[in-house]
Parts: sequence; C-alpha cells; structure tokens
Amino acid sequence: MARTIRSRITATLAAAFMVPIVALASGQARAETVYNIASLADFTGPYADIMKDQTGARRAVVDWWNTEVGKDLGVRLGIHEYDHRYDAAQVASLWPGIKSELNPIAALGVGGPDVAALQERLPDDKIPMIMPTAGYGYAWKPEPWIFNPRATYAHEAAAFYDWYKKEKGIEGPVKIVLLTSEASPAYVDIHHGMEKYAAENPDKVKLVEAVYAEVQPSDLTAQFHRVLRNDVDAIQIQTNTAAVVAAKRALQALSRSDVVLVTSSHNGLSVSGRAAGGIGVFEGDYEVYGQAIPTEEPTDARKFYESLGKDHGLKAGWNIATVMGLNQTLVAVRAIESAAQEVGPEKISGAAVREALLSDPVTSQETFGVLPTLRYSREAPFPVEGLSVNIGTVKNGAYSITAEDVPVPQVNKW
Amino acid sequence: MDAAGIFATNYRRDQALVRTRWQWLCLGLFILGLVCLPLLLGSRIIAIATVMLIYAIVVVGLQINTGYAGQINLGQAAFMGVGAYTAAILAAKAGAPFWLAIPLGGVSSAAFGFIFGLSAARIKGFYLALSTIAAQFIFHFAILNLPQSWLGGSNGVAVPRPEIFGAKFTDDSAMYYLSLIVAAVMICGAYGIIRSRHGRAFVAVRDDDVASGMMGINIARTKAVAFLLGAFYAGIGGALWAYYVRFIAVDQFTLIMSIWFIAMIIVGGMGSITGALVGVFVIKAVQELITNIGPALVQNYPFLSGDIVFAAMNVFLGSVIAAFLIFEPRGLMHRWNILKRSYRLWPFPY
Repeated sequence: MARTIRSRITATLAAAFMVPIVALASGQARAETVYNIASLADFTGPYADIMKDQTGARRAVVDWWNTEVGKDLGVRLGIHEYDHRYDAAQVASLWPGIKSELNPIAALGVGGPDVAALQERLPDDKIPMIMPTAGYGYAWKPEPWIFNPRATYAHEAAAFYDWYKKEKGIEGPVKIVLLTSEASPAYVDIHHGMEKYAAENPDKVKLVEAVYAEVQPSDLTAQFHRVLRNDVDAIQIQTNTAAVVAAKRALQALSRSDVVLVTSSHNGLSVSGRAAGGIGVFEGDYEVYGQAIPTEEPTDARKFYESLGKDHGLKAGWNIATVMGLNQTLVAVRAIESAAQEVGPEKISGAAVREALLSDPVTSQETFGVLPTLRYSREAPFPVEGLSVNIGTVKNGAYSITAEDVPVPQVNKW
Repeated sequence: MDAAGIFATNYRRDQALVRTRWQWLCLGLFILGLVCLPLLLGSRIIAIATVMLIYAIVVVGLQINTGYAGQINLGQAAFMGVGAYTAAILAAKAGAPFWLAIPLGGVSSAAFGFIFGLSAARIKGFYLALSTIAAQFIFHFAILNLPQSWLGGSNGVAVPRPEIFGAKFTDDSAMYYLSLIVAAVMICGAYGIIRSRHGRAFVAVRDDDVASGMMGINIARTKAVAFLLGAFYAGIGGALWAYYVRFIAVDQFTLIMSIWFIAMIIVGGMGSITGALVGVFVIKAVQELITNIGPALVQNYPFLSGDIVFAAMNVFLGSVIAAFLIFEPRGLMHRWNILKRSYRLWPFPY
C-alpha cells in the first residue's frame, strides 16, 4: 500500500515536472510556416540611386515583422530581390520564374513597368502586388490585384488646394498651372485627373493651363512668362525633380515669389533641394502626399524608422525612398497578418492576402503613422474614401511639416 | 565555303541553305531542343525564350532593312508598337482572333514603315536616321494625343488571352509555342527574301546605290520595300508582344529599345539572318545575367557595396557593345565564319 502511494506520488511529481518541459519544448519546436515576398527592384535602371534605401527599408520591415509579429503567429516571411531595370520587357521575362521558383504570396512593386507587365497576369497568378507610389487614373479599375497605398496624384493635389484655399483665405478657386510632359503616359494621366477635378469643382480649382514641356526641361522662363500673366496662385509639378528645379529658376528669373510650387513625394522639396543646391531655394513652396514626410520632427514614423535602424539593421537614410519602402512593406505584412488570422498560419495564399486587404482596414497605428488608415474596396486599387495627406514646406530654411491628416476630397474617375 | 568533299552538282543544291547531313542533324537537334524546351526547363527560361523569340522577329526585320538594304532605322520599336496597338485594338475592341490580329498588326506596321521608306528614297545616312527617330516620336505623340477611345491614350490597352477553338492560352508554354511557330515562319521567310531578287537588290543598293540604279534596279522602290518588310516583321513581333504581356502602353516602345535592336544586329553581325538571331540571344542573355547576378552578388557578399556592383553591371553591359564595335565590328557571325573557314582549311591555312 505504502509502495503504491509512493509510486503514485512519484508519478504525480514526475508528471508535474514533465508537463512544463514538454510544453516548453513543443513551444520551442512550434514550426513557423515560411512564405515569400517578391521584392521587385530597379538596381540598374533609372531609379538605381534610390533603390538601396527602398529595398533596405523593405528588408528591415520584414525582419521587424518576423521578430515582433510573425513569431507569435507561426509565420516567417522571406524576401527576395529581383532587378528588373525598370523595364516592362524585363519584368515580363522575370515574373514567370519568380512565380514558379519563389511562389510568393505578395509582391512589392516599383512603378509603371511592373504595373504594365503584370496587371493582366496577377489575377490569374493570384498574387497581389503592393506599390509604393500614388495611383493612376489608367489603373483605376475594379477588382484590383495591384494596390497603391496612396490615391492618385490628382487626389493628393486636390487635398492640397482645399487646404491652401482655407489657409490663405482665397476667395474663388485656387488658380493653378500644371507643368507636365508627354514623355510618360503617367504624366499625361495626371493632367487628365486635374482637368476632370477642376471641371467638376469650379469653385475650388481653376486649371489655367497645362504646360507641356520636355521631360528634363532646362529653361521654362518663356512659357511661364506667358501663363503667369494670368492671376496664378500655384504651379503643380508631379513629374520629376528636373522640372521642379527648372520651374523655380524660371520663377526667380521672372521675380515671381507670389506663386508657389506644389510637388509630390518623388520630386519633393528635399530631393529637388539637393538638385537645386539647397533646400532653402524652395522657401514657402509645398510638397503633398499621403505618407509620412521625412523631416527631422519626432513623429511616430520617424521613431519606427529609428527602431528599425537600432534593432533590425536598417542603414538607409530617413528620406522619401525609405518611406516608400516602409509604406508598401507595412501594408503587405499587415495584410499577411490579417490573412494568417483569418485562414490560419498554414493556409496563407496570395488570394487570402488580397482578401484580407479588401476586407480589413490597415490602420494608421498599424503602420506607425507612415500611412493614413487605408480601407480598400473592390472599386479601385487605392482607397477612394477616408484618405488624408500630409503637407510639407520649407520654413525659415528648414524642411518641416506644415499640415497633417488633411482630408482628401472626392475625385471622380476620369 | 563548303567543307572538303562537298560539291554542288546542281543549281538547287548550290542554293541550299543546309548543305550537309551533319548540318541537317544539327538543325534537327536544335529544333527538337526548342520544341522540348518547356518540358525540360523551368518557367523562367521559357519566359526568357519567349521574349527572345519575339525580339528575334523584330531584329530579323531590322536586319533586312539595315543589315541587307543598308537603310539605317532607329524607329524599329515604333514599328513594333504600331503592330502591337493594331493587334491589341483588333483583339480587344473587334474581338478578332489572334491568327488574324497578328498578321494585320504586321500589315499596319508595314504601311507605317512604307511611308518612311518613301522618304529613304530621297535621303540617307544621318538624315535618314533622324527621320526614323521622327517615326518614334510620331508614334508616341499620336497614341497620347488621339482621342482616348481610339487607341487608349495614356490608359494603354488591355489585350485578351489568345485562344483557338475556344481553348485559351493559359500558361507560358502555350505562348512560347505560338511565338516559336511565328518566329520559325518569319525566319524561314527572311532567308527566302534575302535569296530572292529583292534580297539581291537590297544588297546591291546597300553596297552602291548609284551603280545598282545604273544596272536597272529601281532604287526608290527597293528602299521602300526594305522599310516595308522591316516594319512588317516589327509589327508581327509587336503583335506577339501584345498577346504575351496582355497590356500595352506607349512607353513600352521607346527609342532606347530601338537602339538595343541596333546593338543586337551589331553584336550578331550585320547582313546575316543568323547573326541577328545570335545578337538577340547574346544581348538578352547578358541582360538577364546582369539582372540576376547583381542582387545575388550583393546578397551573398554583403561587403561588396550594392552601389559598386550595380554600377559595374551597367558598365559591363555597355562594355560588351563597345568591345564589339572596337574589336569585332562585323559581329559574332564574322568571327564564327573565320573559325569555320580555318577549321575547314586546317592544316593548310591558306
């Protein structure tokens, strides 16, 4: 009897001792399902100079997510870079191999060539692609597989003009000149978008003229001398830095400090400032876009960037390219996270990631303020409602944020 | 020059492109290899091969125009674009089947090219080069500025999948086989053209247009036909491209692309259909190598700075072209012919 009791006590103690060990061991051995993200990049083409920062940001976000989120979910993400030289032909020959060899559940794109080469393929391949840029009218189609975290350039500019009109107390519409080029269909598309918005909102914006110039204009004085005879408030440039610099030089030559420049992210004040020999040249001008502005101010996005540098090996500078890399990768990993919660960590697919994007919002908190809250729908590749933009300027020679979370107005499809 | 012991005993045999059993065997194995490629290799290689086949058609057209007829053409990408847009519009808006849209793409491009061929009758050299660059810009501005409902404008055109008897080309292998068949037909046609009286007229005009005119060749007509044929090939290639990518926009057919096509015939060898094919293979293979090797180098050897590696890749690509222009301006086919002749003469190198 005593022997039986002793053996029972021993068994109980052994069980009590073994249970946590087994539990710990099973926890440690809990398999992480590995999925891949295809990171399309332009290392040898026209955007090679910014790609290191953008891809560095992508890698750091994936590393952060694996450590902080994926581990608990039982999901590990791999990210593989593919250089496509910003060439649609290269994307077309690259993609079938990416699909078969990597079997990605999401792709991160760069710009136009990715969209051109893959927009008809991705619905068949069932792999969503997340872009870092604003959207385009020509890609504004229902049932998207390519997602932009920002609405179109026309949306972003329209938000600026709403804000600017109130800020400056302008009565009547804000009179604008659009500087663009026929070098790219994307630039023509921006004109079409603004034309439509101005036609439907004559009380808000008046498009005085769209000036078509060389893609890398050297001198715009003659064109500006003509168009600025009208009472113009702003010149909108969403093409490239060369156009911004040429526009500023023309305004200086014409002594027109009353007309402000409105730029986007890729040709914003900091990057154009470098090309113009100093950001101070753009005193009082603006940049507007629906993502964090990389100023020195201690925003949440900036803090997140610093944590990536400290803990996840991010070496990229705090600049637009880095923010673009952060924005698209954060959207991708948050969608994968939602998909894992909905279908389980072992059943994530490209289709599940897309469904998660369409059904669950990606909140601003989830992207550490890098983006506003995004609510995708089946109507468009970008959120068409509830978006906001940030506005940056140069004040007393310093690059700074002048307005945050400015709501984007309704812009109808063109 | 034939190998020792090979004699043409009749005119037909003298004209034959494939002259020995060994050559027939090599050709047969090559064709078998191309046919079996999708069964043997992965999707990545199939995709590269498909793009190579499409480019091969376009570059063979350029070879006829520039390599044989001597008419410099820096607008081949625009001619390709015309074919692509024609096929895309016919397929997307008129519901034309691919077997009709592809040749009509070629025909419309040929008509566009013929206009520039007429200008070639009056101008040559740098002036002709500039007028073909104008073709590039006319194409670009016409697409962007004509009413959007006609050619899509800045929106581009989405192209439906090709299908035959209700069966859609759903995988990459199907598109590869379509490109292979079309390329085979076009390349056989090119060999026929250059050995015909038109081909001989092209070469005569290229070598001396005054002398050829005095011999009775209609120079203006010959030049116009050379452009027409070159553009027809580009249009067929463009139509295939539209079906392959299934979305076309004006920025897919750029001047830089035309320059790459010129580079392909320089590397392969001017005045040789096989040279055009070799040039496409070499340039595309180098491009693919560069896009693969760069990220792999940076990933595996992080101490190599990405900036240096990727800059070096571009320098390497440019150097390949420059090296050919300096050391072998007559292209790889010339080098191959020297090797072949040396082998056949060995051990008597004279």
